[in-house]
Amino acid sequence: MNNTWFLYMAFAAGLLFVGLYCLLTMKNVIKLFIGIEVISKGVSLALLATGFVKKNTLLAQSLVITFIVVEVSLVATALAIIINIYRHTKSLDIRKLTKLKG
Amino acid sequence: MIFLFIGLPLVVAALLPLIGKISKRVLPDLLANAVFLLLLVLAVTAGRQVISEGPVLKQLNWLGEPVGITVAVDGFSLFMLMAISLLTLCVSLYSIDYMERYGAKANYYALLLMMAAGMNGLVLVTDLFNVYLFLEVAAIASYALVAYGLEHDELEASFKYLMLSVIASAAILISIAVLFGMTGSLGFTAVAAGLRSLDAKFVVGFCAALFIMGFGLKAALIPFHAWLPDAHPSAPAPISAILSGLLIKVSGVYALTRILFNVFGLTPALSQVLMYLGAVSIVVAAFLALGQKDMKRLLAYSSISQVGYVVLGIGIGTPLGIAGGLFHLFNHALAKGLLFLNSGSVQHATGTRNLEEMGGLAKRMPVTAATSLIGSLSIVGVPPLSGFWSKLIIIMALVQAKEWPLALVAILASVLTLWYYLLMQRKAFFGKLDEKWKNVKEAPFWMTASTVILALLSIGVGLFFSAFIKSWIQPASDVLARGIHLALGSWGI
Amino acid sequence: MIWQILLLSGVVLFSILAILSKDLIKSAISLALASLFLGILFFQMNAPYAGVFEISVVAGLITVLFMLTIALTKAEGDVRESKLARLIFPLVFVAFILIDVLVMKGLLQKVPALPETSESGAFGDVLWKQRTFDLIGQLAIILAGVFSVLALFRKRNKDE
Repeated sequence: MNNTWFLYMAFAAGLLFVGLYCLLTMKNVIKLFIGIEVISKGVSLALLATGFVKKNTLLAQSLVITFIVVEVSLVATALAIIINIYRHTKSLDIRKLTKLKG
Repeated sequence: MIFLFIGLPLVVAALLPLIGKISKRVLPDLLANAVFLLLLVLAVTAGRQVISEGPVLKQLNWLGEPVGITVAVDGFSLFMLMAISLLTLCVSLYSIDYMERYGAKANYYALLLMMAAGMNGLVLVTDLFNVYLFLEVAAIASYALVAYGLEHDELEASFKYLMLSVIASAAILISIAVLFGMTGSLGFTAVAAGLRSLDAKFVVGFCAALFIMGFGLKAALIPFHAWLPDAHPSAPAPISAILSGLLIKVSGVYALTRILFNVFGLTPALSQVLMYLGAVSIVVAAFLALGQKDMKRLLAYSSISQVGYVVLGIGIGTPLGIAGGLFHLFNHALAKGLLFLNSGSVQHATGTRNLEEMGGLAKRMPVTAATSLIGSLSIVGVPPLSGFWSKLIIIMALVQAKEWPLALVAILASVLTLWYYLLMQRKAFFGKLDEKWKNVKEAPFWMTASTVILALLSIGVGLFFSAFIKSWIQPASDVLARGIHLALGSWGI
Repeated sequence: MIWQILLLSGVVLFSILAILSKDLIKSAISLALASLFLGILFFQMNAPYAGVFEISVVAGLITVLFMLTIALTKAEGDVRESKLARLIFPLVFVAFILIDVLVMKGLLQKVPALPETSESGAFGDVLWKQRTFDLIGQLAIILAGVFSVLALFRKRNKDE
């Protein structure tokens, strides 16, 4: 059982890594958000795979569905923000956006 | 009754856009404030009776049949509910005048109500996944509220905040997935019981680390704080007040302590980690605050520093320390809410947040100046204001636990705090009045009214601190001090 | 087993394409394909509802939203990404996969677990009886999303 879990979790970790790499290196705001989406895929894979190997698929399935609903809401909000950013700077470059010091 | 805390804001928020079509200003104002007032009254009066015989679980009945909606009410969650309703009420009173210039009030109140519903839900749930879910409800509403001005800075801050929050949520969910894999369930009780029967120190440590990272990002503890000094100043003033006063505490500190104390059980190692995270936040953020020219940025850094005190106090893990941390949480919510609202009043009157440009505003805005002096002194910890007692309790608890270096840090950092708050007061309100500000007027009625309420509360809680601790803080800290036995015993299997 | 590995590799491969491709439209399509593979994988794992959701909502709706945004923000000069990031990615990724495979196995062996209790009943029962609170949460999330979008696309009246 642990071998199956290992397989899925290894791939989920791979997805998380790809997403984080994108967040750290890319400059396009839409590209950054695609990185976020990749991370979300890793998370939903981890959730469902855990339920699957522990014979709890039904529960895990309902969690994944809720997670997807959250994702949709988040994507809508984020893309609305991105469109507004574009209206202001006429660019999608994160370097042109950063004025605040953090 | 307790379900109203989640249901009522949700229903009213859903109706508000329709109501906004009929009446643009008056009805949304009235309705939103009425909801928050009702929730506050409920929390203060009826809520106490619910938990008079200890923590209870409540299950919702739908058409006579119980459905799978269960909430847990105990001292800690009731205390948080009271704090949430109190500050949201003051903020929404303030918004009556302040949000005029942003337009679309119905929409604004709808988002504010959603945020309140999210926070109330987060405080009441009994299940790890629901914690994540309600966290997200409050977070999504807050992204839009931070960007509400639709200007360049707001949008940038909101985008940054969103990115980091999503990483936080991912960390939290991975940790939840691992716990789910180990115990096969998600409820606090079942997970606590499962972890007790398993010997899994290593994995619990890993999950705790992920939770600390995730919720630490939400609470803006120091290595994870990058988003806060942008997001909080950029938001409209009432929203800054809610974000700094409540959201970082509910979605960061509350969720973290609830899970670490009542589900994992606090181990000495975890306690050390929390204490040092808190201490680092206190010191670093205090130094960062010293150099700020922007009033709201200064307040934002000070929020990080004060949340450090809260985490430090709770992290000690003794009943006294927990009580001190929770008391400071409440006092900071009042005082920082008040200061952010005042910064909004100043910006409303003068159009600037730059401390260098201000000066002598006390002559033109006496109420704002007086209330923000009270707020500053309360955060700094000057007796008899409420902030003094909570810092005193935290330091006493540190001494009692023989953590001398940390006690010293806590004392010295409050000197730094005094320094930058006096700097702010002097630059903004005292000194000579600049020619530019000759025609500045005091803020409109509701704005001053809500700041006066908060200032009076700061004084009142300070004067009657022992009664307040006995009736609100003690039940809350008892809940945490009982650790996992609460989840196993009182919520009952 | 071999099917699962193929599908999982597909998900990861298309995700990598999505973040590395220069054209945003191609990125969005790769992301949709990754979702499609993930959805099929969910079917394989006896989770048909999650699969349907993944395919219809994530591969469908979210891709449409992405396309819409890309169309609305047609920038003149594309944002120049650093070449270095793209070049060293394979190297970093292979290194990560090696660590991942070596470490993860050791880690997951250490995770103790309670004995499994196989669950019975239909999916609807689980969602309706056990996770009812999630439905309220979903409702709240959707409302919050709708209000956020309304707030972000409102007309600012300039007469302030």
